[in-house]
Amino acid sequence: MTALIIGGIFIAILVLMYNSLVGKKNQVDNIFASVDTLLKKRFDLIPNLISTVQQYMEHEKSLLNRLTELRAQAMKPNVSDEQKIALDKQMSQALGSIMVAVENYPDLKANENVMHLQRTLTEVEAQISAARRAYNQAVTDYNNAIEMIPTNFMANAMHYRRKELFSIIEQERQNVNVGELFKK
Amino acid sequence: MSSLNQLTDFYYKELEPELKALEKERKVLRSRIIMILSFIAFLTLFFMLFTARKIGMDDTILFIAFGGFAFGGFIYKLLIKDYTQQFKQDVIRPLIKAIDHNLHYNPNHAVAEALFSFSDLFSNKIDRYSGNDHVKGEIDGVSIEFSDVHAEQRHSGSKGKQKYTTIFQGLFIIADFNKNFKGHTTILPDSAENIFGSLIGGWLQSNNFSQNDLIKMDDPQFEKEFVVYGSDQIESRYILTHAMMKRLLDLRHKAKHQIHISFKGSKVFIAIDYRDDLFEPTIFSSLLDYKTAMMYVQTLHMATGIINELKLNHKLWSKK
Repeated sequence: MTALIIGGIFIAILVLMYNSLVGKKNQVDNIFASVDTLLKKRFDLIPNLISTVQQYMEHEKSLLNRLTELRAQAMKPNVSDEQKIALDKQMSQALGSIMVAVENYPDLKANENVMHLQRTLTEVEAQISAARRAYNQAVTDYNNAIEMIPTNFMANAMHYRRKELFSIIEQERQNVNVGELFKK
Repeated sequence: MSSLNQLTDFYYKELEPELKALEKERKVLRSRIIMILSFIAFLTLFFMLFTARKIGMDDTILFIAFGGFAFGGFIYKLLIKDYTQQFKQDVIRPLIKAIDHNLHYNPNHAVAEALFSFSDLFSNKIDRYSGNDHVKGEIDGVSIEFSDVHAEQRHSGSKGKQKYTTIFQGLFIIADFNKNFKGHTTILPDSAENIFGSLIGGWLQSNNFSQNDLIKMDDPQFEKEFVVYGSDQIESRYILTHAMMKRLLDLRHKAKHQIHISFKGSKVFIAIDYRDDLFEPTIFSSLLDYKTAMMYVQTLHMATGIINELKLNHKLWSKK
């Protein structure tokens, strides 16, 4: 009888551990899907931005080309999650540079369309930044679970591996504040 | 919007004649109160002794003591009523006008109970709701309103006696938020983690069924002070950027009292737990006293300063 009870408790613990690991993994996937959606939202803004600014921005042609290129790469099918993370970083930097360059063109700065794009872009940037932070928290929870006793034994058996974080470097943190540059 | 120094100057310079007149009234009122309340206390004691002699010690004596106390309180309120109204009219109203001309003050109104419940800051059922000193208007194009609020819950004790306990008493502020969002995010003082430490406290937080998902924030200082619940992991972080978390921490330190914050329906709700009725005149200390003056000036300045403090007037986002 005692053995039966102990066996029952043991199985219950295993089930709980298994479920919590699966829950954490799904949370990571779930949030990555949101990150992906937001990144797409930003990609969709790029053609519009480029077509608006390119006639003014003679000196930043290479920057605009780079942006188009990055977008094309990111839109390809079969891009892995790690590649997406890397592309996102470059994209943020390129967009940041363009926004700074806009400051040099008074006509552009006053353009209704550009102003609208800037607002939308700032907003998407902020949402992406929030999604990255949410993703990092979910990955940290997941990584903790697969490395900590006792769930690490179970995770090993399930072939769960560590996942990478979005690196949020200091400069990127300030990306959220790109909007500060556009203050009237 | 005036600075704290300007407001303090305004209080002492511009309001000087009113303050002096009120001060005179206050002194008269004080001696009158002492006299009348002493008389009531004496009368109560007399009746208590008389009853004790006549029928011995029993519940009746307690009843008389309680009755005397309640009567004293009632008389006190009655005595200070005119003085209080005068004070609000002559001091608080001009102070609010000095902060911003677009602010309207009504000493007898409060933030609507429906809005208070809508904020989702307090899950307890509200059985008695009151408040006063309502300020409403627009600062820098951002709508704001705030007032004193006292929300209580009824408990039925032994012998069918009913007792009220305070859920919240203090300043309740509502302002328009400058970002679009759909869900809601609640930020509460982190009592569980303070009492039980991070391990057990963290477990308690994540299993708090009365709230939405626990949202762990990536600012250690903020995490230590607050606990965040929200309907959407990403949206809550969209609202609570690193900069916003820092601003809320600053506000917490400035307020010197616990604060509860929620973001819901395009508004931000802030409840500052003073456990006191604010903007009431002092009877037993001078209105010219610096500490007393700062209590009015600072509190008003902080409440209206929230728009600047949290940068709610920065319209960077697509929200119009």
